[in-house]
Amino acid sequence: VAKTSLTSPPWPEVKLPDPVEEAKYHAEVVQKVNQLIAEGHYGRLFAVVHFASKQWKVTSEDLIMMDNALEAECGDRIRMEKVLLVGADDFTLIGRPILGKDLVRVEATVIEKTESWPKINMRFWRRHNYQRKKIIVTPQTVLRINSIEIFPCLS
Amino acid sequence: RYVRQLQRLQLLFSPTSADSRGARQFVEEAAVDFARQHPDVVLYVSPRSGRAPVLLAEYLNGTVREELINSKTSEEIVQLATKLAGQSGLDIIRIRKPFHTDNPSIQGQWHPLTNKPSALTVQGPRLQPK
Repeated sequence: VAKTSLTSPPWPEVKLPDPVEEAKYHAEVVQKVNQLIAEGHYGRLFAVVHFASKQWKVTSEDLIMMDNALEAECGDRIRMEKVLLVGADDFTLIGRPILGKDLVRVEATVIEKTESWPKINMRFWRRHNYQRKKIIVTPQTVLRINSIEIFPCLS
Repeated sequence: RYVRQLQRLQLLFSPTSADSRGARQFVEEAAVDFARQHPDVVLYVSPRSGRAPVLLAEYLNGTVREELINSKTSEEIVQLATKLAGQSGLDIIRIRKPFHTDNPSIQGQWHPLTNKPSALTVQGPRLQPK
């Protein structure tokens, strides 16, 4: 059959590697990463955490502000679950969709519970003598991430 | 490792006027509980006549906030005091970003040349020898 421009798809054909070799390669990589974690050959760790219906990229010692009021008091330590991703300089651990709780530990402290600046909510229709003004003040919480730790229990 | 940002809470009220009835009730009932619950805040109570009742809050960075407690019940004053105790002395203005990091990138910040093959190994029609 003659080869036309539509015989093969326009994207380059990708050959998948052998599944047995693939499994061996995976095991090797997992073992290397486990070794790195166990020896502690990583610098700063960053994590992607799902918190207060938002996803934050978080490192240690950084500040995060929520537009709600948590039930914890000021100065309480909080452990964050729902960690989606953890990474360091050489490797990243991607969760599907979250990582196990025995693998990562993200700790944070509640620093401040204030209110936001007074937001103005105004409705005005012209030529109808209609205007309503409302000042909205929402409670806010400021958290500081203390530390992110990982434990070598991959598989 | 948590330091409360509130230094002092000064409660000024007058023993006679009707506005500071809530303040007087607060002082009689709830002031001791509040002081016990927040051991690192100093609470000064000073009755002065001829002044409107006011709750002065001083923070560690020097900002002073005054809150009027004219004709407020003692529960409302307790709530106000706990709210002030949880705040820090920063101005309440619009903050542009809800996060703050000192080290934003760990694996190196992305620039358009990451994940691209370098210019030396690109196979182009000119680089092949004829």
